[in-house]
Amino acid sequence: MTKRLTKDALLLAVALILYAVEAQIPPLVPVPGVKLGLANIVTVWAMFRVGAKDTLAILALRVILGSIWAGQIISFTLSLAGALVCYLVMLLLKRILTMKQIWICSAVAAVAHNIGQTAAAIPLFRTASVAVYLPFLVLSGLLTGLFTGLCAQLLIRYLPQGKTERE
Amino acid sequence: MKTRTWILILAAAALISGAACLFLLFGKSSGQTAQVIRDGEILCEIDLSAVGEPYTFTVTGKDGGVNVIEVEPGRIRVSDADCPDRICVHQGWLSTQSVPVVCVPHRLMIRLVSGTGPDAYTG
Amino acid sequence: MTKRETQRDRRSRAAVRNLICAVMLLLSFCCSFCGCTAKKEQEETFFAMDTYMSLRAQTDDGELLGQIRDGIVQLEHEISVTEKTSAVWKLNHEGEAQMSPAALELLETALETCGDTDGALDITVYPVLRAWGFTTDTYRVPDAEEIGALLGSVGWNVVRIEGDKVTVPEGTMIDLGSVAKGYAADLAAERLKQAGVENAILDLGGSIVTLGSRPDGNPWRVAVRAPEGDGLLGVLSSRDEAVVTSGGYERYFEDDEGNIWWHILDPGTGYPAHSGLVSVTVVGPQGVRCDALSTALFVMGEEKACAYWRAERDFGMILVTEDGRLLVTQDLEGRFEKDPSCAFELEVIAP
Repeated sequence: MTKRLTKDALLLAVALILYAVEAQIPPLVPVPGVKLGLANIVTVWAMFRVGAKDTLAILALRVILGSIWAGQIISFTLSLAGALVCYLVMLLLKRILTMKQIWICSAVAAVAHNIGQTAAAIPLFRTASVAVYLPFLVLSGLLTGLFTGLCAQLLIRYLPQGKTERE
Repeated sequence: MKTRTWILILAAAALISGAACLFLLFGKSSGQTAQVIRDGEILCEIDLSAVGEPYTFTVTGKDGGVNVIEVEPGRIRVSDADCPDRICVHQGWLSTQSVPVVCVPHRLMIRLVSGTGPDAYTG
Repeated sequence: MTKRETQRDRRSRAAVRNLICAVMLLLSFCCSFCGCTAKKEQEETFFAMDTYMSLRAQTDDGELLGQIRDGIVQLEHEISVTEKTSAVWKLNHEGEAQMSPAALELLETALETCGDTDGALDITVYPVLRAWGFTTDTYRVPDAEEIGALLGSVGWNVVRIEGDKVTVPEGTMIDLGSVAKGYAADLAAERLKQAGVENAILDLGGSIVTLGSRPDGNPWRVAVRAPEGDGLLGVLSSRDEAVVTSGGYERYFEDDEGNIWWHILDPGTGYPAHSGLVSVTVVGPQGVRCDALSTALFVMGEEKACAYWRAERDFGMILVTEDGRLLVTQDLEGRFEKDPSCAFELEVIAP
């Protein structure tokens, strides 16, 4: 139990660090919602290597703590909506994907995250006009998801199984 | 499913969203009237074709966030903002695009609509 | 080994084929979606019924508006009071004429409103109107005797319709000019609806009919002109309805003594109606009724017009009085936006 708690806390810390590092990178393209999503690496890793419940805890806490750190209520709502959709999609994909296809899961989940975020933005902005960003977000989700997915894939390949797997 | 199938699905999604992006980027909005919207409420409407001298004004959000909006003949932009990412500033001038300028942290949006002048006159 | 390979190959080839199909399907869906949004705005401007008309509609059918224009011109030829070949000319000069179903419907609706409004609208006031010179732009002030004599043949209830045959007694003349534009707009809107057009705005010389909303989804914005100057009274947000204004300021002349005489006659006196109103805008589902009512209510004056509105309630109205008040019925209050340049006090007419 303690081991599990420690591991989850560690992963959460890593995710938050990645989140903080990413926040320092100036936006590459001027489209709201587009970001690298480095913390996604941790989420995907946790999903495939640790477990679904742990992933949910890490993901939710990362969104909450990250938003408190950034001090933005609105981005919290959007991130939470995105994370929720993303988590559900990952849960589904985990059943049908093998360990060699983690990068696919990441790409699809990133797209799902962005779609969930856009959907949540519509009631917040009280106009459907924000939906025009959807194609940009789907495309960027694919690219960033592939990138973070490949990172996770490489990590899983090169980090010895025994040292990271829960006993 | 095979990896190859997945690649095709992802490629198809990329293709379609990419095409939609191009369509949006190069598609022109018919409107010349800019609406400045905060929290879903239209704060003001500016007929860009009728702007003479350039001017700026400031929109303050409910939580104190500030966006400075600059208006020139035929175009409008957020010239300064105190949001963390300043994406709204980076989005630049809005003149004919169908994609609106959005500041997510301040729930501010500037979009173009077709003129709000009358469509017909009676009397 | 080779066997397994080929099987795998076959399966993956099938998968690729399926996917290509799926992509094609998705792409064609996208294209059709683009096609929907790319409906072109067509516009047709022309001169008919003594006024400029403009039809604007979102449609891909390049012929449609031209056909509607031809229909309006055809109706005009039939009901013109000045064309010697028209059915109305024949009726006015021979006392009897055959009319097309459209002209008959127009005539019947007009007569209905004549009855409803107790003769405040009267399509048989034409001989008096002609004496004032409003039909030919040769204005003069007829003397009381002349008007009295002409009033003898005025009375909407002498018009008889049997089948497609219309008869009037000798000396009686009808003029459908006060309702024709509204009716033509109704016909045009009906034709557009049949063709599947969802967004259109028809301006038949100030008789406006809106169909659906603007292409951007907002209601059409119909401006109501101020009786004096170039300004506006305000703008009405409008969907699927007609907006028609009558005002003395639209056509008038000044005699040698500086009196102003306008073209809306009181059928009861034969003189231009001085009811205390200077502009009447009527908003309702039917162009022909709005057109007829705008004239009738102008003749009635504020008090009677309000009473009529309270009794009927199937339309809304915007009135401007001679003493500078702007009255709007309660049903229009929420979507009538007073123009900043309009100095009048806005008052709401309660039911």
